[in-house]
Amino acid sequence: MTRFLRMAVPGPGLALVLSSLLLGAGTSDQPATGGQFAEGVTDRQIVVGMSAPFKGASRSLGIELYRGSMAYLSEVNRAGGIHGRTIELKAYNDGYQPDQAIKNTLKLMQEDKVFLLFDYVGTPTVTRVLPLLKKYDKLHFRLFFPFTGAQPQREPPYDRLAVNLRASYRQETAGLVDNFLAIGRSRIAVFYQADAYGRSGWVGVREALASHNLKIVGEATYTRGTKYTESLDRQVAMLQEVKPDAIISVGAYAACAAFIRDARKAGLTVPIANVSFVGSESMLELLVAANKADGREYTGNLVNSQVVPSYENPNVPVVKEYLALMDKHQPSTPAGLADADYKPLRYSFVSLEGFLNAKLLVEVLKRMGAHPERAKIADTVAGIEGFELGMGRPISFTAQRNQGSDAIYYTTVEDGRFVPIRDWKAWRK
Amino acid sequence: MRVAKLFRKTMFGIFLLFGLIALSTSALCVYTVDRQLSQEYEANSRAIAQTIANSSMDIILNRDMSTLQSLIDQFKEIQGIKYLYIVDENGDILAHTFVPGVPKEILASDRVKLATVDRKLPGFGEFVEVSSPILDGIAGSVHVGMDKGLIALKIQTAIGQQVYLISTIFLVSIFGSFLLVNLAAKPLGRLGGYATQLAAPAAPATITPEEVKALLERSDEVGQLARVLRHLSARDVTTGTAE
Repeated sequence: MTRFLRMAVPGPGLALVLSSLLLGAGTSDQPATGGQFAEGVTDRQIVVGMSAPFKGASRSLGIELYRGSMAYLSEVNRAGGIHGRTIELKAYNDGYQPDQAIKNTLKLMQEDKVFLLFDYVGTPTVTRVLPLLKKYDKLHFRLFFPFTGAQPQREPPYDRLAVNLRASYRQETAGLVDNFLAIGRSRIAVFYQADAYGRSGWVGVREALASHNLKIVGEATYTRGTKYTESLDRQVAMLQEVKPDAIISVGAYAACAAFIRDARKAGLTVPIANVSFVGSESMLELLVAANKADGREYTGNLVNSQVVPSYENPNVPVVKEYLALMDKHQPSTPAGLADADYKPLRYSFVSLEGFLNAKLLVEVLKRMGAHPERAKIADTVAGIEGFELGMGRPISFTAQRNQGSDAIYYTTVEDGRFVPIRDWKAWRK
Repeated sequence: MRVAKLFRKTMFGIFLLFGLIALSTSALCVYTVDRQLSQEYEANSRAIAQTIANSSMDIILNRDMSTLQSLIDQFKEIQGIKYLYIVDENGDILAHTFVPGVPKEILASDRVKLATVDRKLPGFGEFVEVSSPILDGIAGSVHVGMDKGLIALKIQTAIGQQVYLISTIFLVSIFGSFLLVNLAAKPLGRLGGYATQLAAPAAPATITPEEVKALLERSDEVGQLARVLRHLSARDVTTGTAE
């Protein structure tokens, strides 16, 4: 056998092959570590991978999440990184399309060999990527802080493959339902994206109403990727017919803004609530422009649930930090992914969430020490208890619970900006 | 160009024949394609419904509707499948692919009943809906809507191709028969002109001497007839017979 190996792998190669055989490395499921550090880690850098929409109807979500994360990571990198390593965020555009998200993930895992996955956007994309992570379970890839409140990455069998910071859609929609019911608005309809994300929100509303022995009074859907310029009159007509007291909207900003515009034009003036994923500022920007163009009021009676505090409140420590670092670094979009016509938002709930994600990621990497390994990620995360991220509510994980925060904040539009709701009674029926 | 009477009759015959062929083959094509495609689509839809029913049991029991939605969204990409929906044991819809919403006809229907039904949904089209039970029906059922419009489109395409082929053959046949009939009709016309000239020499000639010469030199039946006419005409002059 030695003779054969000498023939096949001459010189120093023999030593490598023998050592691989002795250590049991080199199987198809195992990463070739190729040195003293794990994949995605060098002595000077840790590479993490992101797949999100940077182009198309939902591009604002990916761009702003990335920018928020980069505001914090830039500061950390500038200060020397973590244990002497800077963090590189490698991003690809998936256009909010599941098949492209799978391709990007494979590329990040197999070609870029990133240390972990981070800041993915969307339920239809993430729910399709989770089985991929399960397939490569032996490589211990973990998805950190996906920008979705869906259940699959919070429940078995995928819960241990993902780490969530934000509250779930179930929590957001349950909060909206409870608040509407408390002010006498019990006929609740749902407008949602016809995919896994929309369904996730729909289930949240359905279950919240069921706990009060109520049902959704009507529903309408739209196709993912619907543009603001498209008409949603048919959806409006369907919901108008059931005479709702309130509508909970589970979609992305372009379609949700178009729905609000068409609903108000049709005389449907009931409160319309959107969940955190919508991209509040991008939606508001479209509606404010429509206000000016049509001379109508499109921004009244709007409620948005958020999973991060308002960036209008600098008394929250992390918000103060976010505002300062966004202004200091003014992060741009990833190289080669920017649309020329996209104008970045100075501040937004989405970029604040990206900022918080990056801050918690840095904490996890710090706790992993000088020799981070993917196999130790789960234990490291589970060890975070009562960590103060600066939101005023400590973050905790356990081996059984992979969601750090349950915080929900409710906002409405006043003077063209989102402000915290002080009193729901303003919408009492 | 003056179309010979003989050709007109031939063309009419060909037209009738091709019309009959086109109609009968089209009817057969509609019947065959419709039956085969309907059977094939129905079988595929049934297999898809069964697959989803088998793979969605755990998902439904775990109340994971977003994964359920992802599952049915993938099947909607298959050609011919226009909609899918899943109901629980009470007939309440758990996930569906309808935009802008579930049609009233489906909301009003008995969704627990498992049967293959024809559905006409205003704004959506006409469908054949097949269903498959989940856990023998105690966890609900999967319903798959197959687009009948696609079958109609495929039939139209098949008939269109067939009509195109038959029309091409028809035109080639018309052209060929025109040439062939003309080969027979032209000498006959000249023969007629020659006979008229023999019968009434004083009348204006409709045939030139060169054409008469060529006619008499023909070796076929027309030439033979021309020569007989000339012979008869010469005999009449000799015997003094006149009309």
